[in-house]
Amino acid sequence: MNVTETISFLPETPETVLKIIGAILVLIIAIGMGKALTIYLQRSLKDKVDKGHLDIILKVGYYGLITLVIVVFILPLTGIESSGLLVTGGVFGIVIGFASQSIVGNLISGFFIIVERPIKIGDQINIANNIGFVEDINIFSTIIRTYDGLYMRIPNQTVFTANITNYVANVTRRFEYVVGIRYSDDAEEAIRIIREIIDNEPFALKDPSPGLFVDTLGDNAVNIIVRIWAPITEWFEMKTRLLWVIKKTLEENGIEIAFPQRTVWFAGELQTRKVTDTQTELLPEAPSRYPPAERTDLTEEIHGLPEMQEGTKEG
Amino acid sequence: MYDKYTPPFTLNFEGHEISVEKDRENLIYRRTCNYQTVEKTLLNTHGEFLINPIEPVNLPKPITSSLLIDFEHPVVIGPGTKQKIYLTFPVETGIFIVGRNGDHELVDMLTLSNIKYTLYGTPNNGVVCRYWKSKAFTSYPHPDTRYEGDIELDIINDTTHWMEVTKAVFNAYGMKIYYGKEQLSMRAFMRIINRNLAETGFMTYTTTAEFKRSIELYTSRKVILSGNRGIMEHGL
Repeated sequence: MNVTETISFLPETPETVLKIIGAILVLIIAIGMGKALTIYLQRSLKDKVDKGHLDIILKVGYYGLITLVIVVFILPLTGIESSGLLVTGGVFGIVIGFASQSIVGNLISGFFIIVERPIKIGDQINIANNIGFVEDINIFSTIIRTYDGLYMRIPNQTVFTANITNYVANVTRRFEYVVGIRYSDDAEEAIRIIREIIDNEPFALKDPSPGLFVDTLGDNAVNIIVRIWAPITEWFEMKTRLLWVIKKTLEENGIEIAFPQRTVWFAGELQTRKVTDTQTELLPEAPSRYPPAERTDLTEEIHGLPEMQEGTKEG
Repeated sequence: MYDKYTPPFTLNFEGHEISVEKDRENLIYRRTCNYQTVEKTLLNTHGEFLINPIEPVNLPKPITSSLLIDFEHPVVIGPGTKQKIYLTFPVETGIFIVGRNGDHELVDMLTLSNIKYTLYGTPNNGVVCRYWKSKAFTSYPHPDTRYEGDIELDIINDTTHWMEVTKAVFNAYGMKIYYGKEQLSMRAFMRIINRNLAETGFMTYTTTAEFKRSIELYTSRKVILSGNRGIMEHGL
C-alpha cells in the first residue's frame, strides 16, 4: 500500500478532527476568559457587594460567557445547525419570557440594587411609604422590619423603581421645632434661652451651627424656628426629649407658649338683658347654692343685644 | 487623683464621690454626682482600682473616635518648616478594675469638662468629632489637669506655600496619654500635605515612675495601614 492509497482511506477524518480540536480549543479559551472575568469581577466588586451576592454574580458571569461562546462559536464550528435551535429556543424563550417577566424584572433590579447600593442591611429606609429597618437584600426581594415589628417583603422591582429615602445614609441630619411664644414675651430673650439649652446639649452639633430665628408673626403667637443638627444615631432621642426641656425652661423664665385665643369685641357697651317677672316665673327653681333670682321692675325695658364684632388678640 | 486604689476606699473630687465597698467576696462600686448615682456590683472580684485618663471621645456615649480641636486663633506656618505649639484637650477619666494578672476592665467613665460634638466635613461625607476649643499656645500652658490636658503638637508644613491652620483632628486609635502629678500630656504631629489635606498622629514620651502612660481603650488596628493616623481631608 502506497502513501496515496493510505491518504485516500482518510478523506474526511482530518476535517472532523480539526473541527473537534478547534471546538475544544475555543471551549478552553472560553473557560480561561470566564475565569479571567470572574477574577476581574471579584476584584472590582469585592468592596461593593457582599459575599453571598458576589458568588451569584460570578457564577452568572462565568456560565453566561461559556454559554455564549458555545452558541456563537462552537455550534457553527462543529456543524450543528444553531438556527433551528435558535428558532425553537426563541419561541420557547418568548413563552418563558412572558411567564417570568416579573421574576426576571426582580432579578435584574436586585442585581442593580446590589451594585448601586442605595440601601444596606441595617439602614432605616422609606420605600414607597414602607418605613423600617432593612433586614435583608435578596436577589428577588428586599426584606424590611417595620417600626411596628412587622415583616415586610418588597419585590426588588418596586424597590428599584420607587423613591427611596435612606434616613441613615449621611452621618448627620437636621430636625426642626416651631416654638410659638406670646406677643407680650421677649423673642430675643427666648432665643437666648433656647440657644443656651442647645449649647449644653452634647449631641447638638457645634458645626453645622443651630439655626434660631423669628419666622412668622402668627395669628396667636410669635413663631421661633429652632433648627438643630445631630449625629444620625442620636437625632431621634434628642428630638423627642429637647422640645419639652425648651418649653419648661422658657416657662421657668416667664416666657409662655402661646395658644390660640379669640377675643370678641362689641361695637357698643355690653348691657345685661333684663328679665321680666313672667319670664322669671317660668324659670325652674334655682339650686340652693345660688341666691334667689332677682326680680326686675316691669317698667324696665328689655334691651336687645348690641351689634357684635369679632376680633382677634394675641395670646 | 490618677492612681491605684485598694478597696475599700472613698474618693471625693469636684462634686463626685467614688466609693468601693466590700460585700463578702464581692465589691460594690458607687459613684455619685449631682444626685445621680452609678452603682455596679463586681462579683467575686479581687484586685485594685486604677483611675487614669482615657481618650476623650467616650462621653456621654462613644459615637466616634475622632477629636477635633478648634483653634481660638489660626496659626500660620511658613513653607517647608516645622513649628511646635501647645493645645489643650478635654480630660475624660476611666476607672478600671485591675486583676491579679494585670488584666484590666473599664468599670466607669467620667469627665468634668464640657462635652460637645461637631461635624468635620460635609453631612454626607464628613466625620462626627468630639469638639474642643483651645488657644494655640507657644509654650507649655500649665492647664488644670482635672479639666484639661495639653498636646505638644509639631506642625510640619511639607508644602511650598504658607499655610493657615485653624483646627486639628486626631484619631483616638493611636492616642498616647501620659500623666504625672501635675501634668497630663500627649505628643502629636500634623503633617500638612496640601491646603485641604493633612495627616495627624501621636508620638511617645519617655515614661518614668512619675510620668506614666495611661491604659488605652482604643488600641490601633495594625492590619490597616495608617489605621491609627488621623486624615484631615476636609480642610485645615
